[in-house]
Amino acid sequence: MSSTPTTTSRPWSPGLSWPKTALAALPMLLLTALMLLGGRPLPHDPLRLVPLLAVFVLSNVLFVLMLRTGKTDRFRAILFVTVAVCFVLSFIPNLLEVRGNIGLTGDDLVQGKTPFCHMVIPMTVIPAALTRTIIFPGSMLTGFAAIGSMLVLWLAATLALGRGFCSWGCFFGGLEDGLSRVRNRPLVKAIGKRWTYLPYAVLGTVVVISALTLTPTYCEWLCPFKSVTEFNALTNTRAVAQAVIFFSLFAGLVVVGPVVTRKRTQCGLFCPMGAFQGFTNKLNAFEVRVDRERCSDCGQCEKVCPTFSLDRESLAKGGTRVSCVKCGKCVDACPKGAAAFHIKGTALRPQARSARLLFLYPAFLFLTVFGSGMIQDGLYRVLLLVTTGSMIAH
Amino acid sequence: MLPIGQLLGEGVVVGLAGGTGCLATCGPVLLPYLLAEEGRSRWASVLALGQLLLGRLVGYLAIGILAWLAGMTVLASPRWRAWLVGTAYLGVAILMVAYGFSPAAKGCAATPGAGILARVRTRWPKLLPAALGLLTGLNLCPPFVVAITRAADAGGLAGSLAFFSAFFVGTSVYLAPLPLLGWLRRPEAVRTTARLAAGVVGVYFAYLGLVNLIGGLLA
Ligand code: SF4
Ligand code: SF4
Repeated sequence: MSSTPTTTSRPWSPGLSWPKTALAALPMLLLTALMLLGGRPLPHDPLRLVPLLAVFVLSNVLFVLMLRTGKTDRFRAILFVTVAVCFVLSFIPNLLEVRGNIGLTGDDLVQGKTPFCHMVIPMTVIPAALTRTIIFPGSMLTGFAAIGSMLVLWLAATLALGRGFCSWGCFFGGLEDGLSRVRNRPLVKAIGKRWTYLPYAVLGTVVVISALTLTPTYCEWLCPFKSVTEFNALTNTRAVAQAVIFFSLFAGLVVVGPVVTRKRTQCGLFCPMGAFQGFTNKLNAFEVRVDRERCSDCGQCEKVCPTFSLDRESLAKGGTRVSCVKCGKCVDACPKGAAAFHIKGTALRPQARSARLLFLYPAFLFLTVFGSGMIQDGLYRVLLLVTTGSMIAH
Repeated sequence: MLPIGQLLGEGVVVGLAGGTGCLATCGPVLLPYLLAEEGRSRWASVLALGQLLLGRLVGYLAIGILAWLAGMTVLASPRWRAWLVGTAYLGVAILMVAYGFSPAAKGCAATPGAGILARVRTRWPKLLPAALGLLTGLNLCPPFVVAITRAADAGGLAGSLAFFSAFFVGTSVYLAPLPLLGWLRRPEAVRTTARLAAGVVGVYFAYLGLVNLIGGLLA
């Protein structure tokens, strides 16, 4: 395969020849080995060793396939979905070990034992800037998922990927990403464009109400992912009402919505964190662009985009909407090779292959390193279950 | 009866002291509306605020009359208060959800042949701020309860109404700058988002309304 994009109408693919693939994959091989071991010797416990090796092999095989075939989303999705499933498998047993229960009690809140998650970042940092109060009952620097370390991780991912965080970092997004691929054809095809603005409306409202009431409103009332992580112990009417809302939103936006629309409905139609993250796309150097000279306006990219980030208007302008999560699905699907990863300020076509590579290194590394702990622990819990009959280490 | 001058002065002071609470309640209600409507002139933004304020004034005066009629006996009852606020909030919620989540009305109400429903649909947002003002005006927040106590002590209908009118003036100071935001250039995306935000705020008020109604039942 030629490494220089042609100017004919023959579909262009960002795939590399085998020698170039080997060369480009080598740094990732070394980096993942370094990151996964972190200077420690290989564990002796087979229940820990097997997951570690599995993550190392899986991530590097996927990266090689990504480079060789030129397909991004196809292999990203495998790792992304695995991370999300393993996160759930790992999170709940972890809580049981650390805290002894899944339901949050009043004492847990007072003692700041609530693990912090990136979903509440906009509802935390904006009121924090305005009121100098961190409105989240978690610990700032110590313990499992402390606020400080989560903010640093999020900031790093945001600088490197913009809203790419939502398809290369968010450990919830993989659930709906996976479920959106269950059916081959969508049952519901038309969703009005106005609804794609709903996440911004939810963001604005939640930030204002959080700042006025000094409570993490989204976390307390609206997060669908509470259903698969933790929620208040069901000891009063309020907690029951909250749990009903969490499960309804989870069922609607994370399960049924993606299955019937083949879209990431929570990310594209509701998530305020995603809306907030969209603005960081403006600051980030990477984007997905459409080469108007190659584009035949077939609409394939618009059809497959899981976050409603391409429409006729954005296509005409040769770009995506601000909500693009840089998953690469449109790039994979474009029959003309017109959609491509791009570095802002550079020429579109001659640089497309290097732009993709430059994006893939931080994105894939982030997904692997951020997700490897979750995959390892998830696999470990499964192995523990198989060998001891319990997912909790005693 | 206390002298009217003293009641007016006290009403303004109590209003100024508690007005940030009014901004917290009426701001999220009025702002999405101001940002959502297309092609609003400066005067139309001011008019929307005027409507909201007028609605609030009517709500306040209604409470003023109630305070005079009932002394503190009815309004002092937590159950009655919770029901009044719960119902008012549910009213706000219904209006805002209907406004926020219904498609924006297109075309002109005066189009010949347009049915009465089409006309109402095109025009009703224009009266929305007044209705929202009235309903949020019935909100019995802490400064408002202080105001009711004082008005009930005023000892006459005129005194009660004077106190609430002054209270209204004091609180309105905080809402006056809001139309400035309505004057900003608003691209289609901002207008659509603001309209949907009205619906989301409506859902929040529905929650507050239900909490108050259930609280009233349990009181
Ligand atoms: S998939 Fe999209 S970018 Fe590619 S040719 Fe069709 S419309 Fe153009
Ligand atoms: S525009 Fe392309 S890269 Fe962006 S979210 Fe849609 S499919 Fe993914």
